[in-house]
Amino acid sequence: MTARNPVRAWLGRDINVLLLAGAIGLAAWPFFAGDAYSLRLLTVAGIYALAAIGYQFVFGHAGALSLAQGAFFGFGAYVAGILSVRMGAGFEVTFPAAIAASTVLAALVALPVLRLQSHYFALATLGIGQVVLLVAVNWESVTGGANGIPNVPALSLLGATVGRGWPMLLLVWSLVAIGALIARRLTGGLTGAALRLMREQPMAAEAAGIDIRGVRFAAFLLSALYGGAAGALQVHTVRVVSPEVLEFPVMVMLLAIAVIGGRTSVAGAILGAVLLVHLPEWFRPLERYYLMAYGLALLAMIVAAPWGLIGLLRHVRQRWLPEPEPPPPVAGPMPVGRPPARLEITGLTRRFGGIRAVDGIDLVVTPGESVGIVGANGSGKTTLLNMIAGAEKPDSGRIGWAQADIAGLPPYRIARAGIARTFQTLKLVDGTTALDNVAAASWHEFGGPGRDAARAAAMALLQKLDLAETAWKPCGALPPGLRRRVEIARALIGGPALLLLDEPAAGLTAAERDSLAGTLAALNNDGTTVVVVEHDLAFLEKFVARIVCLDQGRIIADGAPADVRADPGVVAAWLGQPLDEGGGHG
Amino acid sequence: MKLRIFITAFAAFLSLMLLQGDALAEVPNFPVLVPLTGFLSLEGTSQRNGAVMALDEDKSVAYGVFDTATSPEVAVNAMERALRDRIHTGVIIGPILGTQMLAMLPLAEEYQVPLVTISGTAKLTEMGNPWIFRFFPGDAVTKVAHARYAVEELGRRRPAILYQTTAYGQSGRGHLETTFRSLGAVPVYQEGLDVSVRDVTAALAKAMAAKPDVLVLHLHSGPTALLVRQARAQGIDLPIVAGSAMHQPTTAALLEPSELRDVCAETGSSPISGGSPEMERFTADYREKFGSDPDAFALAQYDATRMLLVARHTGPTGGAPLRDWLASHEFRGLAMTYKSDGKGNMAHDAVIVCYDGSTRTPHIAMRYKGVDLAR
Repeated sequence: MTARNPVRAWLGRDINVLLLAGAIGLAAWPFFAGDAYSLRLLTVAGIYALAAIGYQFVFGHAGALSLAQGAFFGFGAYVAGILSVRMGAGFEVTFPAAIAASTVLAALVALPVLRLQSHYFALATLGIGQVVLLVAVNWESVTGGANGIPNVPALSLLGATVGRGWPMLLLVWSLVAIGALIARRLTGGLTGAALRLMREQPMAAEAAGIDIRGVRFAAFLLSALYGGAAGALQVHTVRVVSPEVLEFPVMVMLLAIAVIGGRTSVAGAILGAVLLVHLPEWFRPLERYYLMAYGLALLAMIVAAPWGLIGLLRHVRQRWLPEPEPPPPVAGPMPVGRPPARLEITGLTRRFGGIRAVDGIDLVVTPGESVGIVGANGSGKTTLLNMIAGAEKPDSGRIGWAQADIAGLPPYRIARAGIARTFQTLKLVDGTTALDNVAAASWHEFGGPGRDAARAAAMALLQKLDLAETAWKPCGALPPGLRRRVEIARALIGGPALLLLDEPAAGLTAAERDSLAGTLAALNNDGTTVVVVEHDLAFLEKFVARIVCLDQGRIIADGAPADVRADPGVVAAWLGQPLDEGGGHG
Repeated sequence: MKLRIFITAFAAFLSLMLLQGDALAEVPNFPVLVPLTGFLSLEGTSQRNGAVMALDEDKSVAYGVFDTATSPEVAVNAMERALRDRIHTGVIIGPILGTQMLAMLPLAEEYQVPLVTISGTAKLTEMGNPWIFRFFPGDAVTKVAHARYAVEELGRRRPAILYQTTAYGQSGRGHLETTFRSLGAVPVYQEGLDVSVRDVTAALAKAMAAKPDVLVLHLHSGPTALLVRQARAQGIDLPIVAGSAMHQPTTAALLEPSELRDVCAETGSSPISGGSPEMERFTADYREKFGSDPDAFALAQYDATRMLLVARHTGPTGGAPLRDWLASHEFRGLAMTYKSDGKGNMAHDAVIVCYDGSTRTPHIAMRYKGVDLAR
């Protein structure tokens, strides 16, 4: 049997053949159209593609609705225009200066703005654009005021003029190609999976050691960098820089390109830019009715392709020409376990208004122990777990771990210290395969290029948890029991010394519970310390040697399962009546 | 099903677009590039109608109308599109928006094609570009008439200036302040208003706190109507001398006649105010053709296009010959007589129109002839 030709294999994957055909068509188009107008439109499309590729870092990959990309684009245009007109600087100066200025602006505003979430973040970033616009309109001596700065010279690079038409087109699209390759490099592979985890399940991403604020900061700066670069090109194409370049329609255009092309696909940004620059021009003969036609066309595209045009193409390909499932990757060695450590909690307290959810808890978990935490709803179990994992900050108290106080540290630092967790409500990325859900959690260890190594490690864990068959299945298609185990596999990929589980048996069938209990017992036998919050005593008794019962934020019993079950305080506060042998609660 | 319908419709649309192309006519082509959407759509529509009326009357040239919206980028795209047919396109009828014209100027020089506009932005003819011809009196004309009327005819000495934070607004504000100062009437208050501002009561309150004796407006159409209405609603009965937007019938239509009492406006002309049989015939024909009243922008564009058509019938249809012809010839239009001052400023007269509070049709209160030529 001969090995498959790698080029044919690449063409057969995903929508690569369509993308290649599109790239060839795009490259050939100016040769057929050939006139200055067509060349100009493609040049402008390239500029917007570059800005949109940058916008995808923050809007697409980091999942933050920034409305500042238009401001970075316009700011770059102003910097390049002012340097070019007032100082006669060439592109070798204006281009890096525009990039640097936009990136510095982003860094300055990032500190206050990136603390905000969802619509507050969107509004704050919109405000950045408005402030820059006001400065441009009112600082007449520098910016030319509302007239702007006319007569921006044609782009000059090291003394040679890059004229409009073909030279400018080639320069712009060369920079688009470079920008696209860098973006692919930065967001592809394991990084892509990690970014998707961060975007769709931020709590799980932090629990996997991903510093979300750091990633968002980097994405914000990268988006500004690309925006500034595109602005520097725009000013030499339009030959005037005026406040219109900072106005909201530019931002709307970039947003529309990202949404219609595809939020996270470089090819989507390029396709969206080419389409959205040309679409109004096609409708222009309709005079004042063109906006109506343009709006309807955009609406039709959003309705028919909510995941973007690239997503639509992928959908069509999967529907009409489904790709065969590849063989599972070869399993690598199991992740190296962290050194065992002792968890020592002292006087831990957390209040919510007037309620003490956790009230001065002292608890020690020795290495290799398996502990169940039980109690009625509202007794403080999940709050305690969240504080250990960093999702909640304690009001007072100490959480000792490996000779350090980890109380109040962000979740990603606690995860990197060897404490992993799962969630009461599953936090998996449904559209991603089980393999990549697990692999993504090792991003901070393997980095972007380490996808193969991460997948090999993930495969080893999937095999260990009897999930090998699910490797290429999207998590959304798996039954609850298997999804629980995928989440446990994800938590284990960092080789944690302590595994925290929040109600892992919730929603499982009896058979699935038995299987899960066996899995957790095996993990504990391998040396992993396990702390499980659970309502189901019968489930816990299959693998824990110690149970801690909470009531109103305090420990009311701590000991062997049989002793805790018989404790009168536990009966009164939680069980209500003695349980039959083998019965559950919760 | 939804997907199939979308794909079929999209494919059909793409096919149509690929088949579409600008017809290559054998006659000269005068592309009309005007803002038909956005905050200058009223002015742009007047421009379009004036040009189309002249071109339809003559019927000797082909034309296409393209919306330039409000961004320089769209305007330059439209210009490149119009110039695809370089053989027949020797002149561009350009938009009223100053920043769009500023972006088009380098291209006009590169392609050697005259640009005809009615934009009032002063900078356009101050950059030494020989390809620009402005058929509407610029700020150096209208703002002088504007300030002189307030001071010399109304006897006011404490003007409060409210202007737009656009190129049009900032350019006019500069000329107004200079002229008022030269007339010994230092403005007591000045504020720039964004075109999106809908509530101007705060700006009015601040202006009134400075105790002005006249409100001087230099705003676009919609904001002018808003400000006049809110001023009258607040009981401010000072005379208002507004910019050219206030002479437009479409602006006056937004106000009650009583709100227009003591409101005047500078402009290049006022077709609906009559004045000559030719002007009245133009107004009647315009109403019949477009179902609306003409304003000074429509008339200026009509005159400009007629001058281009006169050139076309006497020889030059584009490029350097047309540029030289426009720079050296005088043309007697309906609004005024046009002649270049050597920089491309063709219009040098302004009028002040005033409303009497009983009708939306203003009367011409004052004519200022050859304002910039006389200085």
